[in-house]
Amino acid sequence: MKNRTYTSSDKMLALISNDYRHLHVLSRFGIPLGFHDQTIEEVCRNAGVDCDTFLTMVNFINTDEKPEISKLSLSALLHYLKQSHSYFLDFYLPSIRRKLLEAITMKDTDVSFLIIKLFDEYVDGVREHMEEEEQHLFSYVEALIDNQGVRTDNLPVYSKHHEEVGSKLRELKNIIIRYCPADSSANLLNAALYDIFRCEEELGSHCRIEDHLLLPAIQWQKMKMA
Amino acid sequence: MANQMKTFKIIVAETAPIILFGLMSSLKKFKEGNISGIEVDSKELLFETISSEEIDLLIVNPTFGGLLHPDEVRKSSLNPDIKIFAIEISKLNKATLSLYDDHIHVTDLLNEIREKVNSALNLRETEIEEKESLSQREKEIVSLVVKGLTNQEIADKLFLSVHTVMTHRRNIARKLQIHSATGLTIYAIVNKIVDLSEIKLNELRNNLD
Repeated sequence: MKNRTYTSSDKMLALISNDYRHLHVLSRFGIPLGFHDQTIEEVCRNAGVDCDTFLTMVNFINTDEKPEISKLSLSALLHYLKQSHSYFLDFYLPSIRRKLLEAITMKDTDVSFLIIKLFDEYVDGVREHMEEEEQHLFSYVEALIDNQGVRTDNLPVYSKHHEEVGSKLRELKNIIIRYCPADSSANLLNAALYDIFRCEEELGSHCRIEDHLLLPAIQWQKMKMA
Repeated sequence: MANQMKTFKIIVAETAPIILFGLMSSLKKFKEGNISGIEVDSKELLFETISSEEIDLLIVNPTFGGLLHPDEVRKSSLNPDIKIFAIEISKLNKATLSLYDDHIHVTDLLNEIREKVNSALNLRETEIEEKESLSQREKEIVSLVVKGLTNQEIADKLFLSVHTVMTHRRNIARKLQIHSATGLTIYAIVNKIVDLSEIKLNELRNNLD
């Protein structure tokens, strides 16, 4: 049932049953679970979430269909992306680090500590990128939402950064797989690697949202205001 | 495997909607790789897209936008290794087909299309993935890099120009697919190019705990 398009009258439960990764979308919009058998529209209304933005997001993640940019609420989108940054920086990446530390026996006699160092360097890079985005891009969007006049300066472009962040994670993953010490715990290491693979997917999807939803939504808003 | 997350970009250039959408939705069914299908319905858009994006495969109707010569596309393509398939609706002559990497006939089964697309894409994948081993000189440079020497210091030590050292470093990064100093250090230790004791451990261990 993947790759289908959802509408406001679909059950929220069906959305999650069809693809558990939608759980992330809910939490980033601040939608709590425990919504009984309510439809997507009802759940969104109760949680005070813009339903059109929610659906556009879900359908964008699910399918290759062109998103309807005009339906997006810029402030809901911004909220989502901020939550998403905080998820990666404050929750997911630290949890992967803990798993790696658990899996790899730290010794002075092998490369174990270098692998953690490599991971930390990677996280630093992601943090730097996200902080810069928040400082420049997100504050730009906030000004736009508050109608503080349309700024004419050029929007910062991050798609190149996004490719870099992606390729660094690939490199990290491959180094761990190729060179991690043989005495690491296989199960724990696999668990950490699964998370890294998933993180790679999720970061990719996050970057796609920024490049293909946020940027067009900004352009659209500027056009409306002009 | 390493390229599992790479998204392959495929353009379908066709004006007949039945064929265009049919091919687009066939591509979506291929789950092996991440395939991003791009629809193109004019010659103008086609050239704009191939010259601005790295396209892996173009599936095109040979009569698209008047008449289209594959070499014309290859010339303007940002990706020099772009593969080009012809969509065969009615029988095409051999001379025309030979200009293309492969062709998809309208009666092809899904599996046949999949095989053709995969073989075109995999080909590129293995080319990228091909691992080369380091030369003796490159190993020497790796060992000096991970010991913390600057390009200038390495150049002085090996009687090379800084420019040559930088070229070596770029080649090393490409061959190993490792771009960070820490990654290179791990590689060097595991492959016994340097000994752990030769590396300034304390410096490295900083802020780990």
